[in-house]
Amino acid sequence: MLNQLGYYSLIFGLLFSVLAILQSIRPVVNKSNLISKNIYFSIFLQFLFVILSFTFLTSSFVTSDFSNLTVFNNSHTEKPLFYKISGVWGNHEGSLLLWLLVLTLFILIFVITSKKFDNKYRLLTIFFQEIIIFGFFLFIILTSNPFTYLYPVPSQGLGLNPILQDPALAIHPPILYIGYVGTSLVFSSALASTINKNINSGWAKHIKKWVLTSWIFLTIGIMLGSIWAYYELGWGGFWFWDPVENVSLMPWFCLTALIHTLLVLEKRNQLKNWSIILAISTFSLSMSGTFLVRSGILNSIHTFANDPARGLFILVFLFLLVVSAILIFFLYSKDENKNINWFSKDALIIINNWFMMYFLSVVFIGTVYPIFLEVLANEKISVGPPFYQKLIIPFLIPFLLTMILSTRLRWVKDNIYKINIKQISIFTLMSLLTIYFLNISDKNYLFASILISSSFFLFFNSLNDFLKKNIKLSQKISHLAFSCLILSILLNGIFSSEINTNMKEGDQINFEKKIIKFKTINFEKENNYKLLRGNFELVRPGKNILSFYPEIRVYDQPKISTSEADIKTDLFSDNFIVFSLLNDEGVFNVRYQNKPFMIWIWISSIVLAIGGFFAIVRK
Amino acid sequence: MKKLIKLILMISLTFLNPVLAKSNDEIANKISKNIRCLVCQGQSVYDSQSDFAISVRAVIEKKINDGSSEEEIYEYLKSKYGEWISYEPKLNKFTYLLWLLPLILFIFGGLLIFKKVFIRI
Repeated sequence: MLNQLGYYSLIFGLLFSVLAILQSIRPVVNKSNLISKNIYFSIFLQFLFVILSFTFLTSSFVTSDFSNLTVFNNSHTEKPLFYKISGVWGNHEGSLLLWLLVLTLFILIFVITSKKFDNKYRLLTIFFQEIIIFGFFLFIILTSNPFTYLYPVPSQGLGLNPILQDPALAIHPPILYIGYVGTSLVFSSALASTINKNINSGWAKHIKKWVLTSWIFLTIGIMLGSIWAYYELGWGGFWFWDPVENVSLMPWFCLTALIHTLLVLEKRNQLKNWSIILAISTFSLSMSGTFLVRSGILNSIHTFANDPARGLFILVFLFLLVVSAILIFFLYSKDENKNINWFSKDALIIINNWFMMYFLSVVFIGTVYPIFLEVLANEKISVGPPFYQKLIIPFLIPFLLTMILSTRLRWVKDNIYKINIKQISIFTLMSLLTIYFLNISDKNYLFASILISSSFFLFFNSLNDFLKKNIKLSQKISHLAFSCLILSILLNGIFSSEINTNMKEGDQINFEKKIIKFKTINFEKENNYKLLRGNFELVRPGKNILSFYPEIRVYDQPKISTSEADIKTDLFSDNFIVFSLLNDEGVFNVRYQNKPFMIWIWISSIVLAIGGFFAIVRK
Repeated sequence: MKKLIKLILMISLTFLNPVLAKSNDEIANKISKNIRCLVCQGQSVYDSQSDFAISVRAVIEKKINDGSSEEEIYEYLKSKYGEWISYEPKLNKFTYLLWLLPLILFIFGGLLIFKKVFIRI
């Protein structure tokens, strides 16, 4: 019953999206440019039907209706309610329905909030957005129907992958999708204003809100994924340069570049074409991200299904969108008079973009290259952390230094003597000294110390900026948070210490003046899993004793065992213990890690996003 | 400002010194982070608890204790399991583009910016 209702809601939604396409393009073609009431109706009803469909799927999950194939594959009666609900988007079909839900919600918000703008621009934006929505409707209905009927109805489901049963991961996909989908609206709006020729500071101001919203959600979404990886997946790491992580990072670089470019567009009416190119690329990257993840091309934990038809559909759809976007750009864009002095805030923003595009290209090439190499030359290579670190870290140094300058220069043109020559020479001296001292030892630390010095430099400069009146609050907050983020990542990377050893109940080991005691092990039973709970104690000189209770869980449905780390967090460092069963009787592999400044990585990411929020609410 | 910078420099130097010396365990961890667990979904040997990862870690530890250098261990693992096992692709005819393309794009981008934006001054 729910199956049919959900499916027909989707069909109705599809019909209304077709209607909205026709209603939006007709007034443009016959040049009346009138927005009729009907278009509001279509967009509203389209959203309503997607909501209905989503609600039906959710209730199938909540009531464990196993006549639905998606529910059967991904749920289980024993699962807690919270994870039954998050199971809705913890799979391919449901996650696409969520994409569609956000897409239709956003176009509704756009239609309601853009009334003061030119009709032709609004109609065209609706038109492009509705084409994307139509594509997603088709994709879901043809290749990924979440309402496939299953008969005979099984009595029990297969369950959700236990490592996905986690609060951070339950909310990570929706947040990330809001970010991705937001870029689609930026894309449609950019194309519309290219045709309508209204790329100016007014448009920049208007689209900036959408760009910032996407950016905030993307930032938080990436962070949540990273937090999850930290305590669930990765034995202490938080970023693995896994293709799926990279895919979320690429639009982030693009959006960050776009936010800064829009500032120039807003203030100086410059860089119009570049803003449009960025808007188009951001969305293309979000879409190709979905394509890469969903098609199963990438070897990754996030890949839900390997179905070539799905991959092909997204590939063709994406190709059509990108090609038409490029065509529109070349047909309608105008040459602009550029008038930018090399020593101004404008120029520094261009340099920021230059670096952002470089970081983006490193991540892009690193992610995509192995796929092509395998197809073309039948050579299998892995591109992992060492590649990204080698190509990105050296470029961070000049990048951080330009960031320091950016708050110090004025728009249009500034006097070259404004930058304190003293400051620069001191900094050069400091770097040279560092090179001299560290030349004797491992070269990696040479970079590390210059980098740390540069990020401290940026950090103190950003702190200092808080005293100034002529800088926007949002910029103060975000730049300070960014410097904190870089600093905490660096310090964390360099000063982390760990020990990886085998222990039995009752053993104790010494590690860097600390004592780790393996006190007891207990067997317990929970609702949908059995668990072994270890009790460890960490004795630190001059500090209180910490108790740890890491777990090894064995889930009933599906039969998977996971190790749950126990992490004790304070402002200075995280202490992290995780253990797993070795084959021998009663011997466990125990890993203890001390990770300095871990919490600051999360705090700075949140503050970074808050900076974005201030940019939206304050003029 | 001057004092501040001196302070930062001193702090970063003193903190870094003890980190420079590396124990065998640290080298083993570093190597296992750069080696792919071939039976897992996108995890390194360091991050995985699969039998494969456990045995590779044991091999790495043994090799270090036998006095092999980092380079030798990578080479050994690559000769045994193929190039795919290493997270750092070696520079050869297949990977020139991989390593150089980002840098070429960076230079190209710089030239483009210089030519398109600043040339009129």
